[in-house]
Amino acid sequence: MTRETVGIDNRRASGARLSAAIRIMALGTVLCAAPTALYAQEFKIADKAVQVHGFGSQGFVVTEGNNWLTMDTTHGSGAMTDFGLNASSQLTKKFRLGMQVYARNLGALGEFQPSVDWAFGDYRFASWLGVRAGKVKTTLGLYTDTQDLDFLHAFALMPQSVYPLDLRDANISHLGGDVYGTAPLGRAGSISYTAYVGHRDDSVHSAYPYFLLARGTHDSTYLGYQWGGDVRWNAPIQGLVVGVSGLGERLHGEGIRLGLPNREKSRRPDTTAQYFSQYAVGNLKVDAEYKHFNRDHLIRNFNSEDVADVRAWYVSGSYRVMKRLELGTYYSHYTITSTFLGLVDTTLPSGHDYDKVVSGSIDINRYVNVKLEGHFMNGYGFGPYPNGFYPQVNPTGFAPTTKGLVVKTGFNF
Amino acid sequence: MTDGLTEMKRTYLLIVLAALCASFGAVPRATDVTGDVKVIANLNIGASEISTEDLKAVFLAVKTSIAGSQVEPVLAKSGRAHDVFLKEYLGKSDATLITYFRGLVFTGKASMPKVCDSDADIVAYVAKTKGAVGYIGAGVVAQGTKTLAIK
Repeated sequence: MTRETVGIDNRRASGARLSAAIRIMALGTVLCAAPTALYAQEFKIADKAVQVHGFGSQGFVVTEGNNWLTMDTTHGSGAMTDFGLNASSQLTKKFRLGMQVYARNLGALGEFQPSVDWAFGDYRFASWLGVRAGKVKTTLGLYTDTQDLDFLHAFALMPQSVYPLDLRDANISHLGGDVYGTAPLGRAGSISYTAYVGHRDDSVHSAYPYFLLARGTHDSTYLGYQWGGDVRWNAPIQGLVVGVSGLGERLHGEGIRLGLPNREKSRRPDTTAQYFSQYAVGNLKVDAEYKHFNRDHLIRNFNSEDVADVRAWYVSGSYRVMKRLELGTYYSHYTITSTFLGLVDTTLPSGHDYDKVVSGSIDINRYVNVKLEGHFMNGYGFGPYPNGFYPQVNPTGFAPTTKGLVVKTGFNF
Repeated sequence: MTDGLTEMKRTYLLIVLAALCASFGAVPRATDVTGDVKVIANLNIGASEISTEDLKAVFLAVKTSIAGSQVEPVLAKSGRAHDVFLKEYLGKSDATLITYFRGLVFTGKASMPKVCDSDADIVAYVAKTKGAVGYIGAGVVAQGTKTLAIK
């Protein structure tokens, strides 16, 4: 690399940092200056109230070690934007209808392509029995359905071992139907359940197709059926929830590899088992989750088999120390093995990613927040399935550790 | 692997200690303040009393009917009755309740409930809206509504 190209790279990098900083400052200024414009809107159509809500966020990430989440983070990147808008109405006493559109850009992912995030009808026969049909957010563990709504959480990034930001659209919703309800258990609290079947169809702008590009495969479709359930016990101890979720998937992908058609499919269903507990009382919240993801695929036109096994867990705690300030920390643990890649030793940096995180969130007002978060990662967990680190943005190889700083601001109304 | 387990134990221990410290400060109560708040309902609601479990379920949008009547929770924006009600009956702070409802709204599972600025506004809204249930200070006169006994 010549001195001139280094100079150009540095100028580009500082330009990108400046651009991201300006974007964040501009967004923050607009949001702080016009909070009244952020009130939720409610109007009537044919005498039925329709509520409109929305959200958006802008992040800036700088890392030392590896580029992260498909962004050029070692030079500082602000390519982390998302927004959504929904409308819903309680049409009858038991039936409600709603829809949310969503778009994001995360480095090379999303590309601001708008998508229907959820759109469904919900008929509740009783508190213990309801049905939803359409595109429905998937209930899996504590936060799969709300993982991208960072204004609900103390953290700018959820524990990436269990809720990877790059894989957001893999399991966040399904096109199908749910049966759900909550039944009282008297003095033993109550129990909530959800069961569902549906279909998943990944965008070409999502993480797995991008990940496969590094191995010379251009996937045009990656889709399949999903089914699963969730049971959670709302214990009689105020704020204590304990539960378990399961998800099965039968997927297949098609594309081009080395100029020839290429296919892969589940040899047996992909399975996710997630065990979780939460204690939330007053301003304190403590969460713990364990996730086991197993994936047995026939790859390269079904000529090879890969069994990938992911074990992930985290423990997090957050406390609202003041009305507008919430502090939090978590430890996130991720390991992966792969029979095809011969990845069996999870003590290697390629077999794990351990992330220690400290975070602070400030509510500027009821609608706008700013978060500052430090990540200290050991390993990069590079297996047959994405985990935040991609060779396309780390062309000279991976460093064993990564330190990261995330600044994120967002609004919701 | 051993490092991971040690890390897990250390992290878990720290968080449990933090939780215990916070809980010791937050949980013990010297006085019963439930008498500072009362629950009112529109006259069309058949029930004259409500259990603490049902009250919590109604105000967390888990339950949409009591005694065969459809119900709609009405929240206060702030105030002592609001703080007492949230803490004693829902186990939440104002911030965590808002977060809870935003979680429902942005996943399509419920609408944001009606929020009133004052006890008087709550009384007026509950009186005129079928199925409405709200909470106000115990000493506030609530004409045109019924008070639900909490059992």
